[in-house]
Amino acid sequence: MSESMLQARLRAARLKEEIRHFCAHVMPADLLAKSRRHQVLDKADYLRWMRLLQTQGWAIAHWPREHNGQDWSPLERFAFEDELARQGCPWVIPFGVKYVGAVIYTYGSEAQKRRFLPKIANTEEFWAQGYSEPEAGSDLVALRTYAERDGDHYVVNGQKVWTTYAQWADWMFCLVRTDREARPQKGISFLLIDMKSPGIKVRPIATMDGYHHVNEVWLKDVRVPVGNLVGHEGEGWTYAKFLLKNERTAGALVGMAWHALHRLQRLAKEQGLLDQSLLRCRIAEYELRFLALEETAYQAVEAMMDGSENGGEASLIKIRGTELYQDIAAATVDALGPAGVAWDAAALHAGGLPPLRPDDAGGLLKDHLYNRAATIFGGASEIQRNIVAKVVLGL
Amino acid sequence: MSMDPEMVAMLRDNAQRYAADNYSFQQRRSVLHNPAGHGIQAWRDYAELGWLALRMPEDCGGMSADTAAVGAVMEVVGSHLLMEPILASAIVCTGLVLKQATPQQQANLLPRMADGSLKLAFASIDDPAPGAACELRGGTLTGSKIGVLHGDIADQFIICACNVDAGGVPVLCLTEAAQISRESFRLVDGRGAANLRFESAVAERLGPERGASAAAVISEVCDEATVALCAEALGVVRCLMASTCEYLKVRKQFGKPIGANQALQHRAVDMFLLQQEIAALTQAAQGAMERPAAERARIVSGARAYVITAARHVANEAVQMHGGLGISDELDISHYFRRLMVNTALFGGRDQHFFRFTEETLSSL
Repeated sequence: MSESMLQARLRAARLKEEIRHFCAHVMPADLLAKSRRHQVLDKADYLRWMRLLQTQGWAIAHWPREHNGQDWSPLERFAFEDELARQGCPWVIPFGVKYVGAVIYTYGSEAQKRRFLPKIANTEEFWAQGYSEPEAGSDLVALRTYAERDGDHYVVNGQKVWTTYAQWADWMFCLVRTDREARPQKGISFLLIDMKSPGIKVRPIATMDGYHHVNEVWLKDVRVPVGNLVGHEGEGWTYAKFLLKNERTAGALVGMAWHALHRLQRLAKEQGLLDQSLLRCRIAEYELRFLALEETAYQAVEAMMDGSENGGEASLIKIRGTELYQDIAAATVDALGPAGVAWDAAALHAGGLPPLRPDDAGGLLKDHLYNRAATIFGGASEIQRNIVAKVVLGL
Repeated sequence: MSMDPEMVAMLRDNAQRYAADNYSFQQRRSVLHNPAGHGIQAWRDYAELGWLALRMPEDCGGMSADTAAVGAVMEVVGSHLLMEPILASAIVCTGLVLKQATPQQQANLLPRMADGSLKLAFASIDDPAPGAACELRGGTLTGSKIGVLHGDIADQFIICACNVDAGGVPVLCLTEAAQISRESFRLVDGRGAANLRFESAVAERLGPERGASAAAVISEVCDEATVALCAEALGVVRCLMASTCEYLKVRKQFGKPIGANQALQHRAVDMFLLQQEIAALTQAAQGAMERPAAERARIVSGARAYVITAARHVANEAVQMHGGLGISDELDISHYFRRLMVNTALFGGRDQHFFRFTEETLSSL
């Protein structure tokens, strides 16, 4: 192993240690309890969380030093998300610090960097991602939201869908079509849209977990200053691909699976179910799949660092991580029996207790229903397999 | 102690080059049809290449190979389906001799094992028939062992037996082939094996005459063998994966390559995911050999349980995607398939390892 890899491993191990210390001593108990019970976090909770991360120096530690980051290696980024999720911390909302932040510091103008980066870093402004459309899901390049140039503005018309937390967002980074004639990939541009602009309507989409996290965003004659175009007109697809590439190591999945597995073990033990040999056997199966996931994921991340990557690493982690997480979550709800299906939305929102014990039963159910989408969003499992087939196997 | 990664890489390259030049699938056919059941010249070559002394310390002319270096050779054993007793003699029996034998026994055995003039096999599985368990009593051995890998060609055997004189603790003993009546046969992948019967066979205790139980040494060396089998499976799976991918591109039906069908693409991707997991778990298991016994047991058995299932799935899919050719003797696919079947029967099957993993994982709950 190279010296630099050894150093990266040491730094990642130290970071995990710091996170455990942080969760035990620094993290506000109410926020951690709410998160560990999978109760509904509101905007204030998330703002508190994201700013706490910034105070710790972690929110933008993966940014380059010239933009006040710490130049974290992929291994540190992965370990960071892994350990936070193992500890049951809230989701690190990626749209600002991980997604648009990287696009702006890489492709944005000096004015855009000055205007946006500081407020992204401390989550002073909340971002949403305007990608999917009704006719453009997995096939994102089919998007039809159109931005027409009018003087020093673009006039945007169209509809975005599945937009997470658009109801809280101050800004939305948006893929729009600026040229109907060009090749589909060539006609796309990357716009930063102020959500207070006239003509934007956000409509919630009710999901089966009873939690408002996704929306439709309607854009009607929305005027966006030309200065909010990132990079060059028609190059938006390149930036979107960069964003994906930059954010392809989903360390959180490994940590979430670990957390869920230990929770299942705890519940099974508390309820005296571990003697049921079939459940015991199933838990051992998940343990084994977790061992495979963890070893494979960390090797994949190291392969990305030492240049031995094959291009399928991120897909592999996503496919296996989401499959395992969903299976564990479903088994947990099943193991709870009636408590697993008792539904008290008010308790979930107010941080109260579910109708039947244990205390986290309601949240476990909500989490299971929410994460049913994990194999769908961020590139469905089928798309991930298409990618590996093409990029790695050459089929 | 771990070896320099460059040394491991060199060993791997040399092994690959040797096997590509001297042990192609066609060349292997002649070995397969040879009544000796293994390549006489190949065995001499392995001695030349230093593989038979891989595990031995440098003062015995060995390489002091760590688990990763052994794995590098075992991957080639898998990718070229080598028929000779590298695992049985150069890894398992060498490991037992290194960890259990007295210095005099080592001085007697190791040089001849290194130069290839002495082949050892490890007899561990008792004949389940009543009264057939192996017992050591006053320097003689009685009982039967079954399914001893390379038992057909071994010059000497290391046998796991109950030491009746010391309250039945497990011990290892060494005996000459001439002391044994053996019934030789072939395994389904072409390698040889034998059932052994000992009737007051003269046997020498491996290690000091009044030594303690050999259980810990046996467990450790069996774990080493288990890890080596993971690496062999990785070699097998890489070849199956590459052949299948190639076949999906060249085999045309309905006017297009069969690999243009998404149903097959996704199944091929699942094979690839398993291959990557096998690689990662093999490496984890190699690292675990340095850990305390309980942790070692958990990771080695977990890895083996996963690798067995994963490799067999890849082999099944490789056969399926090759269609009729997949079951033919002419193509290497069916030979890899059979090799994995045999390896599953060695040093614990999937259920056995999964059970051990489960106990080590959940016993603290």
